[in-house]
Amino acid sequence: MSIRASARTHLGAILLFLLPALILFTTGCARQDESEAVPGRGENVLHLFNWNNYIAPETVRHFEKFCNCKLSQDYYSDNEEMLAKLAAGATGYDLIVPTGNAMDTLIRQGALRPLDKSLLPNLRNINPAYLETVFDPGNKYSVPYAYTLTLLGFNEEKIRELELPTDTWAIIFEPKYLKKIKGRVTVLDSQRELMAAALKYLGYSVNDTDEEHWKQAAELIVRAKPYWAAFSNTSYIKELAVGNLWLAHGYSNDMFQAALDAKKTGRGFTIGYSTPREGAVLALDSMVLQRSGNRPDLAHQFINFMLEGRNSAELTNLIGSGNPNMDAMQYIRPEIANNKAIFPDPELLARLEMLRDLDRKQRRSLSRLWTEIKLR
Amino acid sequence: MTKKAEQGRTEGRAEERAEVGIKERTARQRMAKFFVAGPPLVFLTVFFVVPSLIMIATSFRFPGEFGGLAPIAAPVVSAHVSQGLEYGFTLEAYQFFFSDILYAKIFLKSFAVAAATTLICLVMAYPLALLISRSKKHLRNLMVLLVVLPFASNFLIRIYAWMIILGPESGLSYFINAVLGALGITPITLLFSPFAVLVGMVYVHLPFMVLPLYTNLEKHDPALLDAAQDLGATRWQRFWRVTWPLSLPGVFSGAALVFIPVLGMFAVPDILGGTGDILIGNLIKDQFLGTRDWPFGSVLAIMLTLAVLAIAGLAAWFARSAVGQRAT
Amino acid sequence: MSRSTRWLWSAAILAYAFLYIPLAIVVMYSFNDSRLNAEWVGFTLFWYEALLNNKEMLLAARNSLIIALSASFSATLLGTMAGLAIHRYKLKVLPVLVFTPVAMPEILLGVSLLLFFLQVLNLTLGMISIIIAHTTFCIGFVAVIVRARLQGMDESIFEAARDLGASPWQTFRLITLPLIMPAVVAGALMSFTLSIDDFVITFFTKGVGEPILPIQIYTMIKVAVTPEVNAVSTLLMLLTLIMIIIAGKLEARNMEAAGGEAGK
Repeated sequence: MSIRASARTHLGAILLFLLPALILFTTGCARQDESEAVPGRGENVLHLFNWNNYIAPETVRHFEKFCNCKLSQDYYSDNEEMLAKLAAGATGYDLIVPTGNAMDTLIRQGALRPLDKSLLPNLRNINPAYLETVFDPGNKYSVPYAYTLTLLGFNEEKIRELELPTDTWAIIFEPKYLKKIKGRVTVLDSQRELMAAALKYLGYSVNDTDEEHWKQAAELIVRAKPYWAAFSNTSYIKELAVGNLWLAHGYSNDMFQAALDAKKTGRGFTIGYSTPREGAVLALDSMVLQRSGNRPDLAHQFINFMLEGRNSAELTNLIGSGNPNMDAMQYIRPEIANNKAIFPDPELLARLEMLRDLDRKQRRSLSRLWTEIKLR
Repeated sequence: MTKKAEQGRTEGRAEERAEVGIKERTARQRMAKFFVAGPPLVFLTVFFVVPSLIMIATSFRFPGEFGGLAPIAAPVVSAHVSQGLEYGFTLEAYQFFFSDILYAKIFLKSFAVAAATTLICLVMAYPLALLISRSKKHLRNLMVLLVVLPFASNFLIRIYAWMIILGPESGLSYFINAVLGALGITPITLLFSPFAVLVGMVYVHLPFMVLPLYTNLEKHDPALLDAAQDLGATRWQRFWRVTWPLSLPGVFSGAALVFIPVLGMFAVPDILGGTGDILIGNLIKDQFLGTRDWPFGSVLAIMLTLAVLAIAGLAAWFARSAVGQRAT
Repeated sequence: MSRSTRWLWSAAILAYAFLYIPLAIVVMYSFNDSRLNAEWVGFTLFWYEALLNNKEMLLAARNSLIIALSASFSATLLGTMAGLAIHRYKLKVLPVLVFTPVAMPEILLGVSLLLFFLQVLNLTLGMISIIIAHTTFCIGFVAVIVRARLQGMDESIFEAARDLGASPWQTFRLITLPLIMPAVVAGALMSFTLSIDDFVITFFTKGVGEPILPIQIYTMIKVAVTPEVNAVSTLLMLLTLIMIIIAGKLEARNMEAAGGEAGK
């Protein structure tokens, strides 16, 4: 075969390989036009920047029907992901659902639009205990959406068999307990959350920024570290459910999921979770309006819609999130509504704290401390 | 005649001809150079150099009180903003980097992991690439495809699959611990360990070694090996004296494509690593998606890039001197 | 020869096994009748059904394919040019520009491109911004492979073509391209997989309300690795396989035709 011919065939092959791309491009564009044409050329769309898996699919359907618009979602799995994207200048979201400290940041950056409460009659459904937070006095910008607790999830049978306590942070920090479950424990891969647990165990506030107290907490962590299997932010859900882990420091939603998975697959054990008596972190997520959003009208509609007990309860029933909505309680399945790890009683509620943001110097020195901890 | 000398001769000939000075032809060649080098140069200047300059500038600024960056100009003090905020440019982030041996330690550790990954990849990829290059033509494409195909599935999914394989309840764990038990060694956990990190790193980067190696080995002239055989070279000698030196450019590009990305990788240590497995990639990611310290994140990245370029320069220098030695 | 071939084969089979065992698990569990990827319960096609009803996921897959194909095309084009230019013209600046993106941690490229798009270009983020970002980091990979192929290649063949009066374009099309083709194809494959798999850069450069596959998968994984994710992965591999096989078949047919023509 001549060289000339072979060159031509190669070029031909490249072009043909690109053919599907072209076809996809054209058909794809056509389809997009079509789908956008229905809700009026992309105008009647509410852009929600939300946590992963933080709204029930049926709620989306109901809302789209109710507002005769389309709900388009983008997701983040960490407040910091969302903040980083917004800090670089990303715009176009109508609604965001940040946790308290991230909301604090957004408010102080001037990134949010004040709410028009006359459009939110259902605001009265919210339990006053969750209003008027330090982050947003007077709730000028935010309406509570749902909350989670950072707590302990465990394999009930194993922990009972080993006679370990589950109502104290000691179980993840004290070698005398840990040596019985070495390599079967994970803690959150989060500077703030793990430090918060350690600080609470030492009797300080989760928002303590005293360098000396931080050092004590770091010592505590370093001492316990050899007994932990890993720092884990998500994989503990499955590992608990299949029995590889016996104890995990994590979020109440995730423990709910792990318990459900273990039950569904008929494992010979149950996953329990409880809040340590020393107190823990409460993360309250709120709906806020981004200043640059195009559709504050739809955003208000959405907030008011989500404030209806029936709609708000759908999320709790799906993922076991805490619900600040009093009207929702009647729609929440009793086994969830009666779970004290999800709905803490007033006495426990008093011992929960919300994380506040650190200033930039504190953030930098905590980061160094964390790096040191990991490298030790 | 050696390769080098041959190349030198052709270059010499080219120069001669340029001197002869067929003007039209040199003009044409310059046009060609312009067309070939121009587009990538322009594209990368716009979409890489400019953003990089932004990042370099970032490393000389203060982090914003709430994330992002502090303003360059003095902030307008409003009700929202407390007084006494920093603004402008600073060397603070660099000072912070050099103030603690901690960061040097992480660099060393990361380079060690990257080197180990590269070495293992090379050992695994070389026979595979060699076999592919010596297979029949229609088989060759299929075999290359088989190397790349797993990578059309999602990266994280593949890592999670390793979680299953290395997990304490997996067959592999049982087998290894049964063997260790028989030898009287205490059982080990595979998952959440430096070993798991290494496995994950090798798995993710293996094709980056196979492909450059294969493209290099494929062009080798089998006549060279036949000639060596005729001269009485053993199998080992044929490999070590002919194939290996000729494949060095492939080895180096493969090594670069494995070594460098490993340094920036954070997902593998995050998912498969234990409590001590922090690498430079994790640290950099944390500055952007955790600590909200962009200037320090930029400093770390600049240091990493400089270190990588230094190593690449050293490697190139070594390679050149090694090739030079062989030629003389 | 046969002994060394046997040795090579066994080493290669080990390498393939290493590559495919995790994959087998991914594919197997996509048919598993259990939400947890933990043990075999029973065969089901439920996850594929769920997937086909997941409009967002399908849209994401389509978007990602478009991005991957466009990015790998432009990266292959520019990367091949860069590889050639670096090899041929002994340039000083271009190699640094080409290889540094490979050396740069992804996250940094993501953030800096985001800053650049938003604050310098004032671009609305969307598919275009992702394609540009992916192209930027893929160029280096292609160039490295192409250059490795060219290195140590016998230069006299190009000289001969020039001596025979071939224009640079003719030399390229008739001599250089066929010679570097394996590297170009390898580079294209690599760019495609890099692009369709990239999470970090995609997260930062994507626009509002556009589902992209790696992001969608990441979102699902954050909750739990469900077999639905495995099903997506399986389908992606299948699709890639089919596309490549069709391209290969077409090339083979072309080759026959060309061969016949050349024979005349």
